[in-house]
Amino acid sequence: MPLTSPGAVAFALAVLALAWAWPPRRLWLLLLVSSYGFYATWGPAWLPGVLAFVTLAAWRLGLLIERAPEERRGGLLGLGLGLCLAPLLLLRGAGALGLDLPSVGVSYYCLQAVAYLLDVRQEVCAAEGHLGRFALHLAFFPKLVQGPIERAPRLLPQLQALSRPTLADFQAGAQLFLWGIFQKVVVADRLAPFVDAAWSPERPPEGLAVLVGAYFFAAQVYFDFAGYTDMALGLGRLFGVRLTQNFNSPYLSASIAEFWRRWHVSLSTWLLDYLFRPMQLGLRDWRTWGTPVALVATFLVSGAWHGTGTGFLAWGLLHGLYLASSVLTARARKSLLRSLGLAGSPWLRPLQVALTFHLVCLSWVFFRAPSAGAALLALRRLVSGLPASLAQGLETWLYLGQGRAPFLAAVAAVAAGSALRAWLRRAGEPGGAAGPLARAWWSPWLRTALSSWMLYAVLFAGAAAQSFLYERF
Amino acid sequence: MISEKLRKVILAELELDDWDLQDDTTAGMVPGWDSLSHVRIISAVEDAFGVRFKTAEIVRLQSLGELQALVERKTA
Repeated sequence: MPLTSPGAVAFALAVLALAWAWPPRRLWLLLLVSSYGFYATWGPAWLPGVLAFVTLAAWRLGLLIERAPEERRGGLLGLGLGLCLAPLLLLRGAGALGLDLPSVGVSYYCLQAVAYLLDVRQEVCAAEGHLGRFALHLAFFPKLVQGPIERAPRLLPQLQALSRPTLADFQAGAQLFLWGIFQKVVVADRLAPFVDAAWSPERPPEGLAVLVGAYFFAAQVYFDFAGYTDMALGLGRLFGVRLTQNFNSPYLSASIAEFWRRWHVSLSTWLLDYLFRPMQLGLRDWRTWGTPVALVATFLVSGAWHGTGTGFLAWGLLHGLYLASSVLTARARKSLLRSLGLAGSPWLRPLQVALTFHLVCLSWVFFRAPSAGAALLALRRLVSGLPASLAQGLETWLYLGQGRAPFLAAVAAVAAGSALRAWLRRAGEPGGAAGPLARAWWSPWLRTALSSWMLYAVLFAGAAAQSFLYERF
Repeated sequence: MISEKLRKVILAELELDDWDLQDDTTAGMVPGWDSLSHVRIISAVEDAFGVRFKTAEIVRLQSLGELQALVERKTA
């Protein structure tokens, strides 16, 4: 049941109505049963069974690790990590062998369970004794199928303090959900035909069309995933739960390192804390090469987490190499900027933002392509077809065969989505801390007008709903 | 309180002329101290004080005060 479907909205409102009448002390039970019911709509009956298995394994091992003497903790942790990662590895392995088994949500709650066990082992958080609340922390339906990948120290205390939903939370949650669904159906889904045309196996584009296709995909994957995240945050907020914001205007980053602090934050901080940092510290005797090697290894794992295709591995490798080279050349780049007179220049950051965006777009080509070979072929066509595409009309290379009107509508949708995001950054996210613009007398009026307009756009100007891109990871 | 020696090691590694480093200062509050430079700073502190931290000890560090306390424990 995709979050964009009327069924999902009706389901969330029904659970919310029940939550108002439900005894607050037993609210966890209502949300747990609802979450498993929601998950059951996503595939075969064994899928919630996988969730229950990971839940029981992580819960039991967490308690055992906490109570065990120091010398036994490592072994118990290894057992727990093995049990929690087994479903993910098995499903990925089956996918690599060509078996198309449904795996919605598995990679998200498996990582969450692994983080919990490592946190208990490092004494960052206490083991949760209440099986029901622990199960809800993995299964909470707003973030079950596509994250954010929540941390136990942040989410469990909120689930322990669940109370009757409030009107303020409903208002904030509804606005967040509306903002999210706007980004998804009005912006991201409108871009889908252009991206599909750019990757058409029948008529592979050449020259500038490849570049335009890469720009379209960069916008699509952002609005798709950021839209989903805001919808998940909105649904969580209906029940008073504040989930982690995954995005912070990532395409305004001035370096790849900054990009990863602003893109899919819950995954990148997971990789940073549980994979990169321990590896980096373990390799610190390698001096200069320790951090670059840890970066490449971490991003290869990130690529493999997204899928077993060579395109994902190449995408991860590329980001690992970007970051590794940025570490190795840090001092040389500083000197170069000084010698070019760019250090401290007002032009420096815009130039860095443009460069970072294009490096990210290059990596998206590998992410979107069916394989690394197909991505390389597309990049070759970008160069070899450049003269020919310049001679062709806009219809071919700019509109990607979709026509002028749909192209202008898509550009307008991206501009509207970007402008709204910029405004929210200055006025404050719904239900979040108020920004500087929120104090203006007209701000509440503008917020109401924008919400009404977004609702209108979702209902009457949305493209045919597509499935979320990050659902399959 | 952060010792002068620890302060100098950190500032030298980050190529900073000066910065107010207090017990409650966290890495994010110091320019240039990010996840990529973190291990370089830790290695420089280990070298300067002739100590070796365990990975778990480093992972648990939350502030400069805790790093100072860890150095003192190791050199005691």
